[in-house]
Amino acid sequence: MKFKMKDIGLKMAVIMLFFFIVPFSKGHAVTISFENVLEIQDRIITGQVTDENGQPLPGATVQIKGGNTGTTTDFDGYYTIEVSNDETVLVFSYIGYEMKEMPIEGQVSINVQLEPSATQLEDVVVVGYGTQEKTKVTGSVASVSGESLQNIPVPGASQALQGRASGVNVVRNGGAPGQEGQIRVRGMGTVNNASPLVVIDGVPAGSIDDINPNDIASIEVLKDASTSAIYGLRAANGVVLVTTKKGRKNQKLTVSLNVYAGFSSAIKLVDVLEAPDLAMLKNERYTNDGIEGNEIWNNPYYAVQRTNWQDELLGSGSTNNVDFTVTGGSEKSAYSISGGYFNEEGMIKNSYYKRINFRINSDHELTDWLTFGENMQLTRQSGNFLNTNSAQTGILWSAIRFNPALPVRNEDDSYSSTQVSTEFGDINNPIFSAETVDNEETRNRLLGNIYTEFDILKGLQFKANFAVDATLYDRDNFSIQVTDQIRQNDIADLTREYREQYSLLSEYYVTYQTNLADAHNLKFVGGYTTQAFETDWFSADIDGFSNEDSSQRVPDSGEILDDISGNKEKIRLASYFARLNYDYRGKYLLSAVFRRDGTSRFAKENRWGNFPAFSAGWRVSEESWFNSGVVDNMKLTGSWGRLGNQNVDPFQYLALINTSRRYSFGGEQVTGASLSRIPNVNIGWETAEMTDIGLELDMFEYKLTTKLGYFIKDTKDMLLAPASLYSLGSATIPDQNVGAVRNSGFEVELGYNDTFGDLKLNVSANASFIKNEVLDLGEAEFLQSQFYGRPNQEITRTFVGEPIGTFYGWRTDGLYQNTAEVANDPNITNDPRREAGSIQPGDVRFVDVTGDGVIDDNDRVVLGKPFPDVNYGLNVGIAYKDFDLNAFFLGEAGVDIFNADRMQGLDPTYPFNMYAETLDRWNGEGTSNSIPRMTTNRDNLNHRTSDLFMENGGFFRLKNITLGYSLPDQVVNAVGITQCRVYITGQNVFTITDYSGMDPEIGYTDGNLQKNVDYARYPQARTFTLGTIIKF
Amino acid sequence: MKKSIYIISMFFLVLGACSDDYLDTEPNGQSTSDQFWRNGDDAVAAANALYEPMMSEEFYGHSEQTFEICSDDFWRAGDHGEDQAIEDFTFDASNAQLRHSYRFKYEIVNRAHAILINVPDIEMDQALKDRVLGEAYFMRGFARWRQHVIYGALPIVSEENYINNEFNQPKPTVAEFQAAIEADWLMAADLLPDSYSGADLGRPTSGTANGFLAKLYLYMDDLDRAITAGESVINGPYGLAPGFGDSFTIATENNPEVLFAVQSLDNWTTQDYMIYTTPRPWGGWDFHEPIQDLVDEFEVGDPRLDASIFQPGDIINIGGDEGDVEYAADFSQTGYHFRKFASWRETGGLNGDQNIPILRSADVYLLVAEAKIRRDGPGAGDAELNAVRTRSLGDGAAITGADMTALIHERRVELAGENQRFADLKRWHRAGIIDLVEHFQIDRGQFKPSRNFVVPRHYYFAIPQREIDLSNGILEQNEGY
Repeated sequence: MKFKMKDIGLKMAVIMLFFFIVPFSKGHAVTISFENVLEIQDRIITGQVTDENGQPLPGATVQIKGGNTGTTTDFDGYYTIEVSNDETVLVFSYIGYEMKEMPIEGQVSINVQLEPSATQLEDVVVVGYGTQEKTKVTGSVASVSGESLQNIPVPGASQALQGRASGVNVVRNGGAPGQEGQIRVRGMGTVNNASPLVVIDGVPAGSIDDINPNDIASIEVLKDASTSAIYGLRAANGVVLVTTKKGRKNQKLTVSLNVYAGFSSAIKLVDVLEAPDLAMLKNERYTNDGIEGNEIWNNPYYAVQRTNWQDELLGSGSTNNVDFTVTGGSEKSAYSISGGYFNEEGMIKNSYYKRINFRINSDHELTDWLTFGENMQLTRQSGNFLNTNSAQTGILWSAIRFNPALPVRNEDDSYSSTQVSTEFGDINNPIFSAETVDNEETRNRLLGNIYTEFDILKGLQFKANFAVDATLYDRDNFSIQVTDQIRQNDIADLTREYREQYSLLSEYYVTYQTNLADAHNLKFVGGYTTQAFETDWFSADIDGFSNEDSSQRVPDSGEILDDISGNKEKIRLASYFARLNYDYRGKYLLSAVFRRDGTSRFAKENRWGNFPAFSAGWRVSEESWFNSGVVDNMKLTGSWGRLGNQNVDPFQYLALINTSRRYSFGGEQVTGASLSRIPNVNIGWETAEMTDIGLELDMFEYKLTTKLGYFIKDTKDMLLAPASLYSLGSATIPDQNVGAVRNSGFEVELGYNDTFGDLKLNVSANASFIKNEVLDLGEAEFLQSQFYGRPNQEITRTFVGEPIGTFYGWRTDGLYQNTAEVANDPNITNDPRREAGSIQPGDVRFVDVTGDGVIDDNDRVVLGKPFPDVNYGLNVGIAYKDFDLNAFFLGEAGVDIFNADRMQGLDPTYPFNMYAETLDRWNGEGTSNSIPRMTTNRDNLNHRTSDLFMENGGFFRLKNITLGYSLPDQVVNAVGITQCRVYITGQNVFTITDYSGMDPEIGYTDGNLQKNVDYARYPQARTFTLGTIIKF
Repeated sequence: MKKSIYIISMFFLVLGACSDDYLDTEPNGQSTSDQFWRNGDDAVAAANALYEPMMSEEFYGHSEQTFEICSDDFWRAGDHGEDQAIEDFTFDASNAQLRHSYRFKYEIVNRAHAILINVPDIEMDQALKDRVLGEAYFMRGFARWRQHVIYGALPIVSEENYINNEFNQPKPTVAEFQAAIEADWLMAADLLPDSYSGADLGRPTSGTANGFLAKLYLYMDDLDRAITAGESVINGPYGLAPGFGDSFTIATENNPEVLFAVQSLDNWTTQDYMIYTTPRPWGGWDFHEPIQDLVDEFEVGDPRLDASIFQPGDIINIGGDEGDVEYAADFSQTGYHFRKFASWRETGGLNGDQNIPILRSADVYLLVAEAKIRRDGPGAGDAELNAVRTRSLGDGAAITGADMTALIHERRVELAGENQRFADLKRWHRAGIIDLVEHFQIDRGQFKPSRNFVVPRHYYFAIPQREIDLSNGILEQNEGY
């Protein structure tokens, strides 16, 4: 017997406890059955397994071919295995290495050296609560190696992930330092939170952007229901699994040092009018309208060009990164320690983002049946954030519109101001704004977990995982007193906000793996998990600072306590989960997943949801009749499953009363109370059902790899707060489970790698063709989204039968060229404005869709969509001797952008500077058919939301190019270094696009309800960096 | 031994994680409705919340005054491009400025509903309960009154509708809508006290309700009842303040003449209208510039001109480092700004203590005078008209045999900028006293050129297109849009 009786007794006790307690807690039993397979003992073979460098490989698997017996190597790579006489071959395998078969042939000692696998065939992928061999995956998993994310000059992993995998779309909301990317897996599944669940080293934990991308070993994106359903309640929008770098046992201590630095600059500016042209066009408005103009435009001072505000605002930025990793391992322990510093200074003065991070990962074998490990990450992020989202006060928006005749500073060194005239609008001097903004946010985050694995019986393991994810958020916003700009601040004020967010996770699960009758492989995982999220915040607002020196920007120096507020929130989740994988000789694959989830966000009756998923796969290439010299691997898969989303405001089943409404009587403060939210007692789970079909085809000795996928993802019971009549007042409308959205599409991933002498080539490409369609909005006819700018122009609406957030407005048919065209236009036969003479030549001819001879709101139609027909990425890597070159392209096609900034920039009725294009305006018959005349009147609303401002948003961008050179071994070895590589990287190097605005990568502007509307946000920069990697 | 410790600790960890009420959590910091409506304090808090929406920039802070740019008193100025279409009578139903203030009136209605539904069951001091209920009736009537002035009639969401979340209701007739307002204000006049002191100054009184009733009856052409309601104010403790400017001066802004005002308190919750109406160099946004035609309406020597309008050469103390500064002609395109709604702190900056008067006794005096002239002919309203007139111009300025022309003149100068003129003009047009189409055809210079007032289209503003769209055909647009 291999087991001591005492051990067995204790192990049985643990099993009993576990199976007793779980059902006891909620009455949802998890049961499994297993049997202990007796072994035939005949003779013993021993040996050592080593890697390509002759280093011992601990933990390698040694199996008897055709049998179900096996063992693993110890810390020195040694193994001992008992074989019977009729068994003739041993199979040696290790993750990431080629499997090797050795005939026994009567030997008693067999030593084996394994070679790293040339293909990823033998690789495993990380899936929820375990790993799975790639060949046996029946769902759709996109894997991105850590290598492709390294040393890209971006602050976070989400941006580095952009374009790397099919079906995984990353959208950047502008280019401000530290701006995170928005990840969407297989389309926009909901108008609510559509971000995937991020799981870092087994811990469901918010953002992936706190991690130093250089710490990442791999990212797996679980795209289909069968793989992601194990995370049931938060998997509806996909799951992103991040695995960080770990040490290996018996590994020599290695230090690797990474340094890069570079600079960034604006890609493109908007061409705006210079002062003389601006004055001329402003006056032309008054002449056209036949009214006396404002004197300011005849003042010669304001007809002299003084400042290009965008040039002044957008300078040069910089990016710096230093990080190190120390890895190593002893017989019993392995570790990886890393630290890093990243600093990005934006193109706009005073905008920056810094990150300092530390990480310690380690694994330890306590006994031969008990292991223990931990991952610990500590991050400090800070930044100064400018407002670049608003079309009323945004800083870049302001720079485009600020009067060009005004100097940055007046002769007395004060900032120039639009206070001189109403004709200059209510914009503050953008340089003043940039130089005085003091809005620092700091986030300190601790993400750590400890886990333990306990071998109960052969093949049966119990695992427990405990994690804490705690973030301390601190905002320190000081607004100086502003009296000489148009948007004033009467009194200096300081806001300090502290917020603590933390979650506690505990997980307990068993895994069982067995092989029956040499053909049936079974793998089971099942368990129970809870996670509690708590948020606790308070904020103080102090006014009145007679001294605004930076040393005085603390609450103690303020004079008036304006406001103190604070609150708490608790959310809790609990789940039971189980997954069974079965395969017959690795040929026919089946898996079933079930998860039962509860959330505290909903009322008791609607709290629990059940999320099942099933999948099957057929490895055609494993069939005996399949005999192709060309095809190495062919696998067909299919899956179906149901997933959940509960990421909406909690407690919507309760009517809430806000008790801090402010008013005053007799000069005394009073507070009032009124309903702040109307309840929905029936609120419950949003669910997504996904069907997925996949084909994997690898050919020519795995040189050419292909992955094809088709999916349909139906989000049902989508939680919507439908646009409601204002007769509801201003209380928040609760979400109702009424909507439905379908995302469907094809995904293609192609890879090619080959070697031609010293030249190594690898090419990978991916493309996603995803269609988004709203199927149901309940009783609502449409969903509204944020209106644009000062006049509150409606630009996007969400309708049934269309994608989310379509552009909605009027069609146009050129400009009226003469009075006869106005008089004879059937579009305005009955329009009273024609009678009133308010439509003039040079005005836009809008199309009367309804045919009633009047242009009104009913003539609006869907003008375009914000989602591309195709997203694609292309990566080309070439290595020649010591040189390596990698170019990464990404693009979109078949997508529209609504250029709202241009719409306003061409509109002469605003008191702002205009786009230079207005010089080509209509000013007489035949002068223009697209840029309307100059006027102060808005009778025809020439610049209403219309197809005049729709643009093709397709682009093709060289996102990243890197050229590296590794110093020859003999050179570096001479100075005691094992590797030294220097490289130069360019980010956003060039872009091919028809889009006329600053940047075709526009992002979201109102949750998920508005995308690709150009608000003149912080644009992305072009960045070049120089870096080096040194290992010793 | 180690293994036993391990197993025992595992046991407690697993046990600790499983708890029956694990998923029961409660919201913090907000009361749920079943925890509210306990006592008199809750009732008063609910009443206080009735007024809070008025503070909004999108209501009395600015947007509510946008409907007045159609008048002949001031030019829109400012930089809200869509104001041009409103001023020129070329707007359509989707003009954003017409939409902003819409929801706040319904919010007040809903807050009043909540009180009228819940407060009767609270055990509390009866006088206080009456007051709270009276405030709710008054404010519901007031919110609907503003809807009436602007749109004629809008859907009445009843208390029962409110309980059942039935917010999509059809529009009643104008007469039905007026009747609903009347009923609320009659209840309010009955329930509210005649006056307040101290920390309740500024709440509506029975006089406030009666003053508004007088106005409503005049809009309903019910002259008799307008006079009765108005006289109850004139004979009540709501006499005219000694000086015209007292109602626009912070120290005296809550004098008995001010029947209702938006109450503003510096560093707590302040109105934005002062920012909108003041000159740019003085911290304002330069909206609503009075035109020469209005300035010319004032008689020579009428002190109301100086109290109402900044004119070039005026020396104003705007506090702080600036101190006394001169109002310059180029501060404004028309040459003028309103000064009724703005004061500056000694330390500089606009003073947030400045209220916005909504109804003054002087207005009620003139309403009674108008009703009497219209019922009994010229001269019948002399007493009330002269009370207002002689306060500013002295006893020598009293007139006899005052007719509608005199009344119209008096209202224009007394109430300039107080959001009355356009509604007054429409009332007089419908009563056949003036021809508004003709009136607006008059060219009053660059800032008020000739405009096309279309009957009946422009009697009322368009209901926001958004509401029409969302009502699925239940809400009908006003005539002519």
